[in-house]
Amino acid sequence: MSPNPADIGGQAAGPIDTVDHGMKFWEKQANALRNTLTSRKLVRLDELRRAAEDLGDRYYRLGYFERTTEAMRNLLLEKGLFTRGELDGKIEEVRKRYDS
Amino acid sequence: MTPSTYTPAPERRFNVGDRVRVKNANPPGHRRTPAYIRGKQGEIERVCGRFPNPEELAYGFDGEPRRVLYRVQFKQREVWGSYAGSNHDLIEVEIYEHWLEPA
Amino acid sequence: MSHAHPHDPAKDDGPPSEHEILSRAIQELLEEKGLLTAEQVRKRMELFDAEFPQRGSRVIAHAWANPAFRKRLLADGKAACAEWGLDLEADRLIAVENTPRVHNVIVCTLCSCYPRALLGMPPTWYKSENYRRRVVREPRAVLREFGTVIPDEVSIRVHDSNADMRYVVVPMRPKGTEGWDEEQLASILTRDTLVGVALPKV
Repeated sequence: MSPNPADIGGQAAGPIDTVDHGMKFWEKQANALRNTLTSRKLVRLDELRRAAEDLGDRYYRLGYFERTTEAMRNLLLEKGLFTRGELDGKIEEVRKRYDS
Repeated sequence: MTPSTYTPAPERRFNVGDRVRVKNANPPGHRRTPAYIRGKQGEIERVCGRFPNPEELAYGFDGEPRRVLYRVQFKQREVWGSYAGSNHDLIEVEIYEHWLEPA
Repeated sequence: MSHAHPHDPAKDDGPPSEHEILSRAIQELLEEKGLLTAEQVRKRMELFDAEFPQRGSRVIAHAWANPAFRKRLLADGKAACAEWGLDLEADRLIAVENTPRVHNVIVCTLCSCYPRALLGMPPTWYKSENYRRRVVREPRAVLREFGTVIPDEVSIRVHDSNADMRYVVVPMRPKGTEGWDEEQLASILTRDTLVGVALPKV
C-alpha cells in the first residue's frame, strides 16, 4: 500500500454523492488565489500537490478546499514567502474584521 | 486516428504498441504513478511528449532533464483481482518512462 | 453599489470558517508583499466563473457540427481549440470520442486534475475521495450511481489524468438532433456528459 494519502485509486469506498454542491465564495477566491500563484510561478502545481500529500493522515480529515489551503500555507512558509509570525498576525487581523 | 504528441520525444525508449510493465517499486515521496497500476502490464497507446519530472518539481527542483511520458492502456481484468465489468473494459494511465520496463 | 471592503464575505455564506480566514490572510499577506494583487485574483475568479464553464459544450457542439474540426480536435485538442480562438492555458487536452463500441469516463485518482480552462471548476463529486477510489475499479457501478447504464457490449475506457494531460469526452450525438444549430447542440452537452458520467439527452 502506498504511503501517499492521495494515492487512493482502487480502494474500497462507499456511495458517491453525485450532486455537485458547487463552491462558496471563499472557495472560489481560494481557487483563484491558488491559480494566480501558479500562473505567476510563485509556486508550482507539483509543489502544491506534494504539500497536500505531506499532510499525511490529516489529508482524510479535511475537505477539498481546507486541504488545498493548508497545503498552500505550509508550502508558502516552507518557501519563506512569509513567516509564521506574519501569518499569525494577519490571521488575527482578518478574524477581528469579521467579528466587528 | 493518429494519437497526438505534445512535444517530440525522438530519443524515447518505447513506441506505440509496445508491451510494457510498470515497475513494482514503492519509493517514498511525490510520485505520479498510482499504486494500483504498479507491477501491471499494458501497451503503449501514445507518446505524450517530454516533460520536466514532477517527482523533482514537487520539491523545488527544475525537473530537468525532461522525461518521456506515455499513455499506457491496460485491460481492467488484468489490473483488478475480481473485475466486475466487461472483459473488454480498459483503463488508460499516464506513466513516465523511468517507471516502465519492456514486458 | 456599496464599497465594502474587498475581502468581505458574501452575506449568504454564513460565518467564516478557520480555513476561510486562513485563505484570506494568506492572500492579503501576499498582496502586502507585492507578490500579487487583489485584481489579479479577482480576474481569475471571473474567468473561472463566467468564461471557462461556457467553453466545453461549445467546443464539442462545434465538433459535432463540423467533421473537419472534430478530426483536428481528436488529433490535438489544445491546437484545435487555439485555432478556434480558445486559449486553454496550461491544459494539454486529449479529446476522447465515444463510439457505439466505446464509452469514456475521466478521473484524477491522485488529486483533481481536470481541464479547467475548458470546463471550469470540477464538480464536488469529481474531487470526492469515493469517486477517485471507485471509478477506476468499478466504473459500471459508479456510472449506475449517476443513473447511466452502459451495456456490456460497449467497452468502458477509464482515463486517469494522473500526470500532464487533461481529458474531455466527445459524446455520441444522439438521434433527434438532426438539423440543430450549435447552440441547441451545446444545450444538451452538459458538463457531466463531457466527463463521461452522463449521456446527452434530447
